Amino acid sequence: MDAQFAVAGKDFAISVTDKTAASSIVKMKHNEDKTYELTPHTLMSVSGEPGDTSNFSEYIQGNVRLYGVRNLQELTPSETASFVRGELATALRSRRPYQVNMLVLGYDAKAGDASIYWIDYLAAMAKVPYAAHGYCGYFLYSVLDREYRPDITLEQGMDIIKKCMVALKTRFLIQYSDYTIKVVDSAGVRVVSMDDI
Amino acid sequence: MDRYSFSLTTFAPNGKLLQIEHALAAVGNGSTSVGIKAANGVVVATEKKTGSSLIDVSSLEHMAMVCNSIGMVYSGMGPDFRVLVSSARKMAQRYIQTYKEDPPVRILVKELASIMQEFTQSGGVRPFGVSLLLAGVDDRGPNLYQVDPSGSYFPWKATAIGKNMINSKTFLEKRFNSDMELEDAVHTAILTLKEGIEGQMTEESIDIGVISTLPAAQSDGKAQPTFKRLSPAEIRDYLSNIA
Amino acid sequence: MSIMQYNGSAVVAMVGKNCVAIAADKRLGQRALTVDMDFQKVFPVTDRTYVGLPGLATDVKTLSDRFRMRVNLYRHREERVIEPETFANMVSQIMYERRFGPYFVEPVVAGLDKKNKPFICGMDLLGCLNYANDFVVSGTASDNLFGMCESLWEPDLEPEELFETISQCLLNAVDRDAVSGWGAVVHIITPDGVITRDLKCRMD
Repeated sequence: MDAQFAVAGKDFAISVTDKTAASSIVKMKHNEDKTYELTPHTLMSVSGEPGDTSNFSEYIQGNVRLYGVRNLQELTPSETASFVRGELATALRSRRPYQVNMLVLGYDAKAGDASIYWIDYLAAMAKVPYAAHGYCGYFLYSVLDREYRPDITLEQGMDIIKKCMVALKTRFLIQYSDYTIKVVDSAGVRVVSMDDI
Repeated sequence: MDRYSFSLTTFAPNGKLLQIEHALAAVGNGSTSVGIKAANGVVVATEKKTGSSLIDVSSLEHMAMVCNSIGMVYSGMGPDFRVLVSSARKMAQRYIQTYKEDPPVRILVKELASIMQEFTQSGGVRPFGVSLLLAGVDDRGPNLYQVDPSGSYFPWKATAIGKNMINSKTFLEKRFNSDMELEDAVHTAILTLKEGIEGQMTEESIDIGVISTLPAAQSDGKAQPTFKRLSPAEIRDYLSNIA
Repeated sequence: MSIMQYNGSAVVAMVGKNCVAIAADKRLGQRALTVDMDFQKVFPVTDRTYVGLPGLATDVKTLSDRFRMRVNLYRHREERVIEPETFANMVSQIMYERRFGPYFVEPVVAGLDKKNKPFICGMDLLGCLNYANDFVVSGTASDNLFGMCESLWEPDLEPEELFETISQCLLNAVDRDAVSGWGAVVHIITPDGVITRDLKCRMD
């Protein structure tokens, strides 16, 4: 039931997640951040089984940061995504797999480009310009297909995000009151307020 | 008792592992084996030494087929050889199960050598008291390899191991030429053994194995080069030719 | 709906005259929802051998990585390049190792051996090999591909003719399959090298 989607331009990527932590029909929390900063230039948004999401994400975050500390060199977004996929794929064939969907967003300083890696709970991975998970996908892929251009600016990216939120508000049975919006670019990861878009 | 001779994994101050030296001494006490790579195949031959004339030599096996395309012979301790034969056969079958083709000789030699190396560095074990000669045919043609207790291995055109190694090698250096055919090589191998043999050489007292590059028919209908131990009758024919 | 149909895929390989071809669609989906239209399912093994992996996308990734590792180890250990038939046997063994918890992929191997003889084969998810000297098909569009190949394939096609044949077979097969298509790639393996072409597809 989580909202989770992202859009990438040439040198930036925008992540959107809802802020609700729900248990059954009850909203337990209204300010949950469902994203994890893995390196200064990579962000991972997660959705799925509540315990698994934080457990797995914190494990990934710990190990990706440990890599940076040990090697004085951060993993690139593509390396990070491959690592996440590998860990999830190994867990998939264990006694109890993690049920976590992920989007790994990153800015690769060396290559000078931004990317999004779509990874589902089965550890299938794809590098995509825009992505969504769960029910969101059924509503948002049509909007994203129509609006997305490879050469969009950050402002145009924000416009697409807004159109996505409108689509969810108009047609989705579940209503999200608030979203976490984060931008990853050459400057790193920053939060964008809902009022600013 | 010398301080450095008890533990296999302890270096002597001169940089040697004494147990390996001792293993080589065991090989040096063993009956001589020779191997010759011919233009169209490989021959290996060994002396079957027995302590008593009462032993039924016809059932002694000093030579083994590892897989169709590879055979091996040893000098040194017989029981150690049997252990290596069974692991070599397992490796070969594992390779065949994966790739549905026989292992190249070099691959099998490397794996076998790595097992022998392991026994020079592990605790609670002793090195193998054998040197091996492996004869085989693969994509690269005929191959002859020697593997030592240390885990070193060498590709040869012709060589000898065991008691009479030095004389035999000198003999082979004079006799060997690289366009030698397999038939000639068998003769040369017999002559080399004959140089060092004590007493009469008979079809009972030596073991000869050959592998030709020519494919031989298999039970599964496929044809491929096949290692073969010569029967006493075949050895007798060779012996009567050189007498 | 079985897990083999979850992501959608179509792979076909064909034998020509001194050449082979392997082609695949590029869709990645979750049942009816398309997620990616540039998902790689055919992987180079050597300069002259390719493997196609239709099936569950997570296993496509896991297997392509494992094959790459095993082929690299083989090359280093044996100091030679693996032959297509040897590789097919290796794939078969890797698949059967997971007999009681299989990878949900039905691989297709295509290549030229050291004598430039074409080799193709398919296998099921347990690694049971299926050799052919005409064509092999696999994936969600395999029924459609069988029909197309049966009617279009003929012996001794030259590389360009083979390209045309395999392309038409794949394109028309995926057009009648709801979960594959959305772009395709064709590799023609000849003694002189590999020709790789992307195909434009119907995107609906």
